[in-house]
Amino acid sequence: MRLRPLALFALAAGLAVTLGDVGPVDAQTAAQKKAAKLAKKADPDPAPAKPAPVAAAKPAAPTKALPTAAPVPAKKDAAALARLIDAEVAKELAAAKVDASPRCSDEEFLRRACLDITGVIPTADKAREFLDSKDPDKRAKLLDELLADPHYGRRMADIWTAKLFPVDSGNRFVLKEPLYKWFEGQFNANTPWDKLVTCLVAATGTVEENPAVTYFLANRSVDKLTDTTAQHFMGIQLQCAQCHNHPFTSWKQTEYWGMATFYSKVRVDNPKNANKGGDNTKIGVTEGAGRAKGKDFFPESAKTVPAKFLGGPEPSLGDAAYRPALAKWMTSADNPFFAKAIVNRTWAHLFGRGFVNPVDDMLEENPASHPALLDALARHLGTAGGFDLKYLVKAVCLSDTYQRTAKPTPANKADKLLFSHMTVKVLSPEQLYDSLAQVTGVGKAEPRAKGQGKGLPAGGRERFVAFFLAGAEETSPVEYEAGIPQALRLMNSAVMNNPAAAKAVVGSAATPAEAVERIYLAALSRRPTAAETKDLTAYVASAGGPATGYADILWAVLNSSEFTLVR
Amino acid sequence: MTDKTRRDFLKLSAAGVFAPTLSGWLPVLAAAAPAGGKGKAKSVILLWMDGGPSHKDTFDLKPDSKGAGEFKPIKTAAAGVEISEHLPKIAGVMNHGTIVRGMSTPEGAHQRAKYYGHTGYREGQGGLIYPSIGSLVSKEKGRPDASMPNFVSIGGRSYGSGFLGPKHQPLQITDPARGVEDLQAAVAGGQFDSRVGLLDKMEKAFHREYQADAITDHATTYQRAVKLMQSREAKAFDLSQESQSARGKYGTGRFADGVLMARRLVEVGVPFVEVSLGGWDTHQDNFTRVKSLSEQIDAPIAALVADLKERGLLDSTLVVWMGDFGRTPGINARGAKPGRDHYPRAWSLAMWGGGMRGGAVVGKTDKEGAAVVDRPTTAQDYLATVCELMGIDYTKKNETPTARPIQIVEKAKPFTDLIV
Repeated sequence: MRLRPLALFALAAGLAVTLGDVGPVDAQTAAQKKAAKLAKKADPDPAPAKPAPVAAAKPAAPTKALPTAAPVPAKKDAAALARLIDAEVAKELAAAKVDASPRCSDEEFLRRACLDITGVIPTADKAREFLDSKDPDKRAKLLDELLADPHYGRRMADIWTAKLFPVDSGNRFVLKEPLYKWFEGQFNANTPWDKLVTCLVAATGTVEENPAVTYFLANRSVDKLTDTTAQHFMGIQLQCAQCHNHPFTSWKQTEYWGMATFYSKVRVDNPKNANKGGDNTKIGVTEGAGRAKGKDFFPESAKTVPAKFLGGPEPSLGDAAYRPALAKWMTSADNPFFAKAIVNRTWAHLFGRGFVNPVDDMLEENPASHPALLDALARHLGTAGGFDLKYLVKAVCLSDTYQRTAKPTPANKADKLLFSHMTVKVLSPEQLYDSLAQVTGVGKAEPRAKGQGKGLPAGGRERFVAFFLAGAEETSPVEYEAGIPQALRLMNSAVMNNPAAAKAVVGSAATPAEAVERIYLAALSRRPTAAETKDLTAYVASAGGPATGYADILWAVLNSSEFTLVR
Repeated sequence: MTDKTRRDFLKLSAAGVFAPTLSGWLPVLAAAAPAGGKGKAKSVILLWMDGGPSHKDTFDLKPDSKGAGEFKPIKTAAAGVEISEHLPKIAGVMNHGTIVRGMSTPEGAHQRAKYYGHTGYREGQGGLIYPSIGSLVSKEKGRPDASMPNFVSIGGRSYGSGFLGPKHQPLQITDPARGVEDLQAAVAGGQFDSRVGLLDKMEKAFHREYQADAITDHATTYQRAVKLMQSREAKAFDLSQESQSARGKYGTGRFADGVLMARRLVEVGVPFVEVSLGGWDTHQDNFTRVKSLSEQIDAPIAALVADLKERGLLDSTLVVWMGDFGRTPGINARGAKPGRDHYPRAWSLAMWGGGMRGGAVVGKTDKEGAAVVDRPTTAQDYLATVCELMGIDYTKKNETPTARPIQIVEKAKPFTDLIV
C-alpha cells in the first residue's frame, strides 16, 4: 500500500534538495517543472539525492524509518520521547553550527504552557505558587495539571471548530454549538486521534444523536468534504486537483475525484428547511445509495471514477458504506499522511511553526525541517503512542527544545527553522479574551451563548473573537495582525478602563510595591524586576492618588506586547 | 510570504515607538507608492445598494417594455443618456459619469451575490475567503504609516480582507453621526498620555529582550491608533465640522451623512470608503420604495460629485454605485402592491470621476431589460476596471497564508478603454 507515485516524489524531492535555499514557492514551481520534464523519461529507480547543502533540505519519503539520533521508545514514555526530540533537534543545530538559547525561566514556562495547553494565563495565585515552589519536578507536574484541566478541551475545540465549521453564508442555519461541545468533550476525554477522526468522517445520525454530523451539515458538498479531509486530517491541499491536475504535485484530477467518491453516498439534510419552523437539532446525515444529487456535482469526466484512496488502492466496497472504509484507510498506522499531519500540527501549535510549513501543505516537494524526527514521532504516535494527543503534547513540552527561552542570542537570532529558541507567539482572539476576562473579571462568568439558532456569533466571547478575526478564518500564530479598530477597543473600551478591575487585582496590598507585584502576577504571571518596581512605584507616587496609578499601570500592562504575546 | 517593504518600514518606525507622533499632523495626500498600471485615481467611494436595486427603475429605463413600470426617463447632462425621473440631481452630473448597463452575473442570492460583487470570486470557491475590493485597494494603495485607516466602511457590514488578514479589514462606522467607536480616550488627555508613556516604556523593554517582529508590529499598530486619536485627520469623522449649508446639499439621513463622511475621508487621503444603503430588496411595493430610495440617494451623490469636482478631487476619486444584482424586468403579482424579484442576468451600475471622460454608457440590454445584447460585463470585468483606474495591476497574485498565489481579479476583461 505504498504510494504509487513515489518514484516521482523522490525525484522531485531530490531536486528540491539540489535547489537549496530558495523560497518555497519558487522551489515548488521549479521542482515541479523539472520533475515533470524528468518524469517523461523517468527511471523508476530514483537517483540518490545529492548531499544536502542546507540543514533544512532532506531526501525524500522513505519506505523504512529514517535513522534517528536517539532510540524511539517502544512504549509510551514521554521523557524518552522528549529525549529523542532534543537529540534530533540538537543534531540539526550542530550541523548548521547554530547554538541553542538557554532554558527558559519558570515565568516563561508557566505562562507559555498555560496558554498553549489551556488557552488562558494562570491566575496570580497559581503564578505565585508555581514560581515559589522548590519542587524540581514542578514543570512536569504543571503539564499534567494543565492537560487534565477542562480548559484544554475548550482550547482544542476553539481550534478545530474553526477549521471544520467554515465561515459561509450557507452555514447560518447550522448549529455550531453541538460540534464545539462535542470537540470539547472528546479532547478532554483524550479520545485517540484516529478514533476521533473516524467518528467525524463516518458520522451519521442527527445533530442531537451525534453532534459530529455537524461536520457534514457545515460542509455540504463532496468537494468541500474532500478538501477539508485532505487539508486538516492528512495535511495536504488537494483542492487544485479538483479542476485540473495539481500544479505542484503529481495529484491528478482523477485522484481527486477518486477520493471525492467516498463522500458520494452522504445524504445531508438541508439546514434551511429545518429552520423553517423545524428543529435544527433534528437534522442530520445518512449514508446510502442514490445520492443522485451528490453525483451530479461531479464533473462529467469524473462521474465514472471509482472510489480510490489517494495514492492507494481501489477498494471493492460493493453496496457497503463508503465512509467507514475511508476512515479506516486514513487512520491506519501505515497511512503515509495521517499521523504526520497531526504531529506536524501539534508541533506548530506549540512552536508557532511546523516541521513543514504551511502545516497543511505537506508535499514531498516541501520538505520538513527535521524529517527524521517528524517520521519517528509519526510512527511512534501511530503505533505505541496510540494516537494519544495529551501524551504527545506532554512529551513535546517536556523537551528542552520546548523549554528554551524565546530570547534569541546574537548568534541564533536569524534562525527561524531549527528551534534554537522559542518563537514568540501571538495570542489567538480566544486566548486574548479569556486572559483579559481572567484579569479584569469581566465576561468571565458568562456562559457560551445559547440558542444561536442561526449559527451567528452571540455572547461576549463570540463577539470579541469575531471582531478580532475580522472576517478571517484564523489569525496567524506568529504575526501580530490586529489593526487600528482592535487597538482602539483595547485602549478605550469601558471594559479595559474599569477602575473596579484594578481595585480587585490590587486588593489589600499594603504598599505600592506590593500592589505593582500583584498586577504583574495577575497579568504577566511574573513579579516585576527591581527596576520596574522602582519606576512604577515612583509613577504611582506622582499619579494623583494610588487608585489612579494602579489603574494606569494595569491599563498599560494589558495593552502591552508582553500581555498579547506568548514568550 | 512576508511583505518585505512593510516589514522594513516597521523596523524603521520601531525606533521611536510613540513619542514623536503625539503631536503629529503629518501632511496628507502624499501619493501612495505607485504600483503598476497607468490609472491615476487615488481613492474609491463605493456606494453599495443593499438588496439589489431595480435597473429598470433607475439607470436603464425601458418605457416601451412590458414591465416598464411607473417611472419616466429624463434627459441628463450626458448627451443621449437618460435615467429615472426620480434622480434629477444625479442627472445633472451624468456628464462626469458612466453607466454600465451590461452587468450580468451568476449569483441570485443576496449573500452570495454581495460576496461575488465585492471579491470577484464566488463564495466557497477553492475553500478560501477572498478579500473584498476595499481590502485589495488598502493593500495595494494604502500607506502602512498613515494615521488614517486605509479602508473605511460606513453603514452596513462590508466584506472584509479574507486571506489578506486583519490589517486590511475596514474600520467600521455604524452611524456616521456618531463617528468612530472607541476613538475617544476613556480618561482625560493628560492621564491618557501618561498611560501611553508607561506603555511605550514597557514595549521598548520587552523588545530589547525578545526582538520579535510581532512586538514591533504590535507597537506600530498602537502607534497608528494613538496617532488616529490625536490626529487632525480624524476630524474627517466628525460631521459637525461641516457647515450647515454644506450639509444641506447632501440632505439628511444616514446615507447622506455617510456620503458626506466619505468625501471628508477622501480629502484626507483614505483610499477606499464604502457606504451602504439598505432597502432595495423590493419584492413588494417596488415603485413607492424605489422612489423613496431614489430620493435618498439623489442629493448626496450629486453633491458628492459636485464637491469632488470643485475641490479638484474628481479625477483622482472613483465613485461607484451598485448593488447585489438587478431586478426582474417583469412586475410580479405579490398582493396589492407588486414588486420585482432578484435578477442577476442583466443589470446596471454607475460610476463617476476616477479619470473617466464621463458621459459614456457601456453595454446594452434588450427591449425588456432582460438580457444583455452588447458587452456583457461580469463583476470580474468591473473590478479589473476599478483596479486599472487605480493603477493597480489586477493580474498580480497575492499569497494566502498557505502560500497559494491568488490573482487579484481572475478571468477579467476590463472595459477601461471604453471610458477613459
